[in-house]
Amino acid sequence: MWLPLLGLLLGIAIGSALYIPIPGAFAKYLSVAVLASLDSVFGGLKSILEDNFDGTILLTGFFTNALLAALLAYLGDRLGVDLYLAAVFAFGVRLFQNLAIIRREFLAGWLKKRYLAAAREDKNGQC
Amino acid sequence: MKLQKWHIPITIVLFISGVLLATALRALAANNATPWHQKNENLVAMIKTQEAEIKKLENSIESKRTSLDRFQRDVSLGKKELEKLQQQLQKLKTLSGMTEVKGPGLTITLDDNIKEYEAAQNKNPGLKPDDYLIHDKHILYIVNELRVGGAEAISVNDQRIVNSSDIRCVGPLILVNTTRLGPPYVIKAIGNPDSLARVLALPESEYNILKMAGYPVKYEKSTRLVIPPFKGSYQFTYARPKEE
Repeated sequence: MWLPLLGLLLGIAIGSALYIPIPGAFAKYLSVAVLASLDSVFGGLKSILEDNFDGTILLTGFFTNALLAALLAYLGDRLGVDLYLAAVFAFGVRLFQNLAIIRREFLAGWLKKRYLAAAREDKNGQC
Repeated sequence: MKLQKWHIPITIVLFISGVLLATALRALAANNATPWHQKNENLVAMIKTQEAEIKKLENSIESKRTSLDRFQRDVSLGKKELEKLQQQLQKLKTLSGMTEVKGPGLTITLDDNIKEYEAAQNKNPGLKPDDYLIHDKHILYIVNELRVGGAEAISVNDQRIVNSSDIRCVGPLILVNTTRLGPPYVIKAIGNPDSLARVLALPESEYNILKMAGYPVKYEKSTRLVIPPFKGSYQFTYARPKEE
């Protein structure tokens, strides 16, 4: 259960310790890639809660999304179109949708647990 | 705790996300890549450039001021030098008769002896008028005598006598400084009036001879004479100062 969180913390720690110099112009693409990866993370969490998790889909989606988002942002810059805004918009919308779904799933799970506990108590009282 | 099938992929994804996130944050923090910061940076760079420019200009002002000081010093030195030279030049000009001069002296007026000539001609027609005219040599002698008397500036009919002046005869007229003059001849001399008069009063002086001969000559002392400058120019083509 704590392994994914440990992974995130380790990643942040390594990213902070390893200073990878990024030119100012590329920081924007990196930000888009970060957004894509966050989208994948939340999508993965959602799929876990919905019980249709597939590791291959998650990993391929993660890499292709991040890379494609960065590439599209770069291409947009070359073409003089702020294409990264489209990426931000798409990933942002999906991110909030996924978050909403996760919240609802958690809420549903919690309500179910409570209901079950109440039912058990009722049963105990009857005994 | 059992390792579920979703643990490993999500861990990998989160790990990479963490790395990316940290890198992006650090990159943004390091580069200050936001437009606002970029603007600030631009302004800072501009200010720095301007400051460097100001510094350069200040340095140039400093050097300019130093050189200006030097030039001014030179100029003031040069001015003194120039003043000295000008004074010297003025003195030399005065000595060579290039300036108008004034001072005490005397004025001699000579005229042809027309009265005597007419009288003589009445007696003896066919007489040549030469003996009754003022000739160049009379003027030359008188000028010479005035110099003996210490004249410092002499003019004949306002022609300044300088060291290159010529006095010679051209028929009925006289050339002084190659300018034709006619009678009456007014000779002005600046100098001590008494000593000038003393020379003229000598029995063998040309003035006295003319007077004895009956020419209408006269002189008068003056405390304030003005003698004009020499109008021509000196040209030395051959004479050169001897080198030491």
